[in-house]
Amino acid sequence: MTALLLDVVTTAAILFAVASGLLLVFGVMKIINFAHGGLITLGGYAALITTQLGLNPWFGIPMAALFGAVAGTLIERVVVRPLYARPLDAILATWGLGIIIGQTIVLVFGREVQFAAAPLGGTIDLLGESYSLYRIVMVPIAILLGLGIALLLNGTRLGLATRAVIMNEDLARGLGIDSTWVRFVTFALGSALAAVAGALITPLSSVDPNMGVPWLVNAFMLVLVSGTSLASLAAACLVLGGAQVIVSSLYSPVLGGITIALLAAIILRTRPQGFARG
Amino acid sequence: MTPALHIDAISAGYGEAVVLREIALTVAPGEILAVLGKNGTGKSTLLKSIMGYLPKLAGRIAIGGADVTREAPHRIARRGVAYVAQEKSLFQDLSVEENIRLALASDRDWPKARAAVERSFPFLLERIRQRAGTLSGGEQKMLLMARSLAADPKLLLVDEITEGLQPSVIERLGGVLRAERGRSAAGILLVEQHIPFALAVADRFVVMDRGEIVDAGAAGAPGAAAEIARHLSL
Ligand SMILES: Nc1ncnc2c1ncn2[C@@H]1O[C@H](COP(=O)(O)OP(=O)(O)OP(=O)(O)O)[C@@H](O)[C@H]1O
Ligand SMILES: [Mg+2]
Repeated sequence: MTALLLDVVTTAAILFAVASGLLLVFGVMKIINFAHGGLITLGGYAALITTQLGLNPWFGIPMAALFGAVAGTLIERVVVRPLYARPLDAILATWGLGIIIGQTIVLVFGREVQFAAAPLGGTIDLLGESYSLYRIVMVPIAILLGLGIALLLNGTRLGLATRAVIMNEDLARGLGIDSTWVRFVTFALGSALAAVAGALITPLSSVDPNMGVPWLVNAFMLVLVSGTSLASLAAACLVLGGAQVIVSSLYSPVLGGITIALLAAIILRTRPQGFARG
Repeated sequence: MTPALHIDAISAGYGEAVVLREIALTVAPGEILAVLGKNGTGKSTLLKSIMGYLPKLAGRIAIGGADVTREAPHRIARRGVAYVAQEKSLFQDLSVEENIRLALASDRDWPKARAAVERSFPFLLERIRQRAGTLSGGEQKMLLMARSLAADPKLLLVDEITEGLQPSVIERLGGVLRAERGRSAAGILLVEQHIPFALAVADRFVVMDRGEIVDAGAAGAPGAAAEIARHLSL
């Protein structure tokens, strides 16, 4: 029972880390960045490179952030920005980009499944249960990520401008806000977050060119039910991630794998605003 | 003197649909020009074109002497242009303070902006943390006016701010506009359907019909109101 509870909380934390960048980009740009999966994979390989270079595994996280930010910068400038007036085409283009990132990784690293070193090993005794220390550490990391994003959005001038662009881009522009710049920064940050999430999950799963795909699907569904609110996303991760854990352990992992997508579809059917207020 | 706004025969519209046809007008610094006209004649389209939201098919727009015909809205705003759109012009979910801060070039200008709000609508300072969406309709219009004056604009574009307001609020807004005119050298373009308000506040007026300027005159001229009313009822 305790193990199940810890599984729920840690899974929610991991899902939150994976989906937060996608949510940020969706809020500002009103597009789902389907390259998010490829960026997660990129982060996984950043962790792998860190391992292969024999560096401290924690170093994989800033390395992934750098990889993700650089990739995001390029993607926004070259692909997304020219399609500003055609959001549907932009979404399709990010889809294609995800495939390109995956293929490039295959070319460089090969198809085989590899393993990155975990920054933290071992177990911790919690509530009378011996539990993976690394999974537990995901919880404060996710909370720090969430608080960091919230602080950026609510405590800085750029954050205020970003919230303004999320709410009404035309009005924001009319007040002197360079929304092109806000979009650019957001996309780079969202991409960095995706890659960081990829590095964070590598000790829990293997590194392979398609590792981002299932995470992308779940993150996508979670964002759809959360709208643009970080708090809603946290709630959705707990509820849907919790359901996934319970279904996986009580019934079958296969069914668990599609629980989030299935539940999200049902939620959107009955309550179109999902976990968002109103 | 360099005009605050000079529009030279611009044509603009939405895609294929041409709405404005060779509009020309000038607003001097410290002058209030009222633009009147029936529903759907293109008054809002004119302001959106000046603000850079719509591409211009022909003509030229200069603000403070600088050509802005092809400039993006945020660049035009940073030239000291404050725009009060007819609809959805406040961030309902942001606080009064955040709404005002968004109109400033930097947070360093906040003390000056605060002083400007104190001058025009001091009651807003007591409700600075309140969500804009929780203000009454009239209070929201006063916040809009306060925000547009907060950054000490050189040009002010106001789209039917009196729409649906009580006479007491309309009077207050008019008083603030007159005070601003006396205090600063801002040029003000005031789109209105409320003839008495427009004539009480403005120095000159133009009348638009189907995308063209069909009449113009001094706001104080005898018979101006009747003349405009005739255009609006046709
Ligand atoms: N976004 C748009 N796309 C296409 N046509 C539009 C759009 N907005 C306005 N129009 C059309 O342009 C014309 C002028 O509209 P505009 O809003 O400028 O009129 P207005 O004078 O401001 O009217 P009102 O007094 O009702 O605000 C109208 O025929 C309108 O249908
Ligand atoms: Mg209008």
